[in-house]
Parts: sequence; structure tokens; C-alpha cells
Amino acid sequence: MSPISGLNDVVAFVSERFPVDKLNFHSMIEKKEVPIHKMTWGYYTGGLALLFLFVQVVTGLFLLFYYQPTVSDANLSVEYITKYVSCGALIRNMHAWSSSLMIFFTVVHLLTTFAMKAFDRPREITWVAGVCLLLITYGFGFTGYLLPWNQIAVNATKVGLQSVELIGTYLPGAIADLPRILKETFQGEASVGQATLGRFYAMHVVLLPLALFAVLGIHLLQVQLHGMSQGIDRAAQKSEKFFPLFILRDLSVWGVAFLILFVLALCLPFDSFVSFPLLEPYNALGATPPGIKPEWYFYFIYYPLELLPFWLILLLSNLLVAGLFLTPWIFRDTSRTTLGFLALLGTLYLIIMTIFGHNIYEIFKGGG
Amino acid sequence: MSLPLSLQSKNVFLATALIATASMALFSGSGAMAFPEYQQFVEKHSGRTANCSMCHTNDSGPTGNDAGQIGSLTEAKLKQLNEARAAFEPGQDVDNPILNKFGNAIVKKIGMKNVLQYRSDPEKLATALGGKDDLDGDGIADSREFLDGTDPLNASHGDPWLLFVHNFSRYRVHIALAVLSIGLLLYGFNKVIAALSSSMEKKK
Repeated sequence: MSPISGLNDVVAFVSERFPVDKLNFHSMIEKKEVPIHKMTWGYYTGGLALLFLFVQVVTGLFLLFYYQPTVSDANLSVEYITKYVSCGALIRNMHAWSSSLMIFFTVVHLLTTFAMKAFDRPREITWVAGVCLLLITYGFGFTGYLLPWNQIAVNATKVGLQSVELIGTYLPGAIADLPRILKETFQGEASVGQATLGRFYAMHVVLLPLALFAVLGIHLLQVQLHGMSQGIDRAAQKSEKFFPLFILRDLSVWGVAFLILFVLALCLPFDSFVSFPLLEPYNALGATPPGIKPEWYFYFIYYPLELLPFWLILLLSNLLVAGLFLTPWIFRDTSRTTLGFLALLGTLYLIIMTIFGHNIYEIFKGGG
Repeated sequence: MSLPLSLQSKNVFLATALIATASMALFSGSGAMAFPEYQQFVEKHSGRTANCSMCHTNDSGPTGNDAGQIGSLTEAKLKQLNEARAAFEPGQDVDNPILNKFGNAIVKKIGMKNVLQYRSDPEKLATALGGKDDLDGDGIADSREFLDGTDPLNASHGDPWLLFVHNFSRYRVHIALAVLSIGLLLYGFNKVIAALSSSMEKKK
């Protein structure tokens, strides 16, 4: 293949994914149709992830007014928000619950779009941007977990950063140092301390939001340019206008989801699921309390890490991430039935590890 | 450790024996924990991890020189400590500097004598505390929080289901208003969707 022909291929690929002739209100909004079939509910999952992102942004801004990103004041400021700021507990709970719901719906969205083969040509960039969004969302979860500066936050972050460093032992030659450098860059000092808190805070409120909005822009532009994917093997018998019908239905779903979030945040403090010694301010001189765990959305990798050799999980997770990015090309010719089956297996794995991960761990390691 | 200055109990022998028992428990091989039996019971009963800060000021217990521990107390605070330790019978107001609000409330409610006695059967402590007192006002009785291994001084901490039920009832007006608003919004949206759909059908 000559360089010219290679360049032509790239131009053709980009032109098909970014059709400039469709960059207008008529094509992107007026003409857009949403197929109606048994999987139509899948079209709402991305919107729900977006709703919870909006809630994250708004509640996060409110929290910014009071939160102090210093090791001496972080925990106190969170306590102040919860106990003394008007509606502070509600806002903080909404932030915590919506972060979990955002991750939940991002994963559900990924699994449904996979099962519906929504990554098929010309929607590869939509998919790849979506995978980037998923990773950024997990990044939000990891960096935000440290901010309350309590026992579970700091100790779980330490474990996470140690795992990053451990990756180096399985890498060859010069790149073996990369994970250590990465860990030191995130950590900023010898142990998790003020520099780490400052960096995690900067990532959580500046860097990751910037990255998220940039990638989200590409993702949504692609969705509007190419419209909703067919979703099922046979073309749908019915469809409805994206604007205004689907938008109104989407807003109705948002209304119900927001109501559920409001009731949850009002009635069920997120901290109540954690043992109280883990919520105490971090004590650098004290012993690590038992029961340190990451947030529930990391259980799918946390429990296997506790049970199986690190190298195996590292290999599998790298394969998974690479597989996710290359999905549009790997599964180009795979039928929706097979994709649906694979998505079901993935869903079962996530449910089992998230709900029963601890029991599985106890069965294999509890007696030891 | 000196005996309480204000000790005026008729049964001085019993008091001395109890203080000796308490001191032994306090400074015995259990390390930092005053009465480890309670913590062990709470962890076993609730399945949650617990520590000394359920009743004590310092999460490592009373022994040591950190804030809220005996080694850090001033003479006046030590006097206060000894007075509190002499509160053998229920009903006496105590302000023990090594105990938090819940710890002091326990001593006031059941007296030090029972605190020492119930170590062999910590569940009795919950029974003795009764089901009415709720220091953090989260709707869950302190005795229940003790059994559940949750923080009796934190209104955001408790058994998740009990908290949900209590808060749902507490904020029922807010919730009703939210349901009404969202319901009206959905009703409006449905009407608009129906009208638009029929007009589109007619156009077709």
C-alpha cells in the first residue's frame, strides 16, 4: 500500500465518520428517527448516564464552595457540609448516589450498545469515545474517593496506587519503570499525603471534567450525525421523531430517575453502608483498620485481584480494555444474537462479583 | 491510679473491688481497649467493624497520651475522670473526659456497676439501655445502634433500611411534593407527546 493510498483511506474513514454535509439542524435533529422495537429501552441508558453527569456537575459545584482540599481540613469540611450547611447532607448524598448511578448507567449503556451492535460501521468513533468516557468515569470514581480524607478513602487509595506500581514488575526493560513514575506522579510525595490530595482534587475537578466534556462532545456529535443505530437484526417496523417525541420521552425518564435519586439522597445516607471506624478522619500514625475496600463499582476487579495472581488479572484487564477499544473491528461480523449472549455473560459476571464477591472471597480465602 | 476522691458509697469494699476490676480491665493485656468484650460482641453481632470510638473520645481507647486518652488529661480532667468512675449507680450525671456522649450516656443510664457486670453478656447492655434514647436523632435507638455496630452519634450513620424508613417518614411532605411535581411534569409531557403524535399521524 502506497503512502498516498494509505492517506486516502484515512481521509475516507474520517469523512464517513464526520460527514460535514450532515452538520446541520435538519439532518441532526429534524430528520433523526428513533426505531421502536423490543430493545428501544436501550436508547434511554445513555441519556440517564448524561442526567447523572449533570447532577454530578451541579452538586459538585455546590460542594466546591465549602470543601477544603487540605489534609488538615478536608475531613472537617466534609463534616461541616454534612452537618451545618443548609441542604449540605442532601447535596453530598446526591453527589455520592449520582456518581454510583452514573457509573451504573454508563456500564449498562455499554452493555446494551454492545448487544445491539451499535458500534457497527460508521459508528466506530462513537463506541471508542464511549469506552474513553467509561474509563474517565472510573477515573472520577477513583479520584473522588480520596477527597473526604477518611480512613477508607486514604487506605483504599494507597492500595490502588500500590497496585499501579506493582504493574512494573511484569513489564520488560525500560518501560518497567513507567508504572512507578506514574504512581509517583499521582502520589506527589513518599506516601499518600497533601500532594496526593491536591493532585487528586485537581484531576477530579479540572482535568477529568475537561477530558470528559471533550470526549462527550465527540460522542454526542457522532450520535447526532449518524442517528440511532438499528439495534435489532430486522429493520424496525415503527419509528418516531427524535425531536420532539423521543426528547420528551427521555425527559420523562429523567424526571422519574431524578425523583428516585432525590428520595435516595434524602432518606438513605451513602455513608451508612460503611462501618463507622472507616469514616473517621485518616490517622497517619494509626494502624490500618480492617475492612478497607474500594467503591462497589470496582468489586468486579477487586475480588479477583484478592483471589487470583496479580499477573493474571493484569493480563485479563489489559485484554479487556484492548478488546473494548477494538470491539468495532473484532466483532464486525458477529451476529447480534452472539453479541447479546456475550453481553449477558458480562452482565452476569458483574452482578455476581458486585453482589456476591465478598461471599466468594470468604469461601476461598475466609478460612485461611 | 488513685481512688476517687468523692467516694462516699456505703459499701466501700464493693466500690474498691469494682474500681480494681475496672482498672485491671483498662490496663490489662487488652491493650488500648477499655472493655474489649463490648467491641468483640458488636463486631460479631453486627458483622461490621467497630472500634473504641463508639463510646470513647479516642478511637484507640483510653490508654495513651493522645487527645482524649488518660495520659493527656490535666489534673482537673483526671479529677473528673475519677468522679465519673465512681458513678456506680444509674442516674448520676457524668462527664468522663475519656468517654464520648454515648459512653457518658451509658454510664448515666445503667451505672458503672452494670457496665462492668455486662461485660460477660454485652447484649444485656442493649436491653438495659432501652429503646427510647436516640442521641443523634436519626430515628434509631442508641441500643439498636449498639447492636447494629453503627455510630450512635452520627445521624447519617445507622442501619440503612431503618434510616431509610425513618427519613422517608420524616421527609414525607418533601417527598409528596416532589412526587406531585414530577407527576404533573410527566402528565404534561404525555399530553404533549400524544398531541404531537396525533398531529404527525394526521400529516402522514
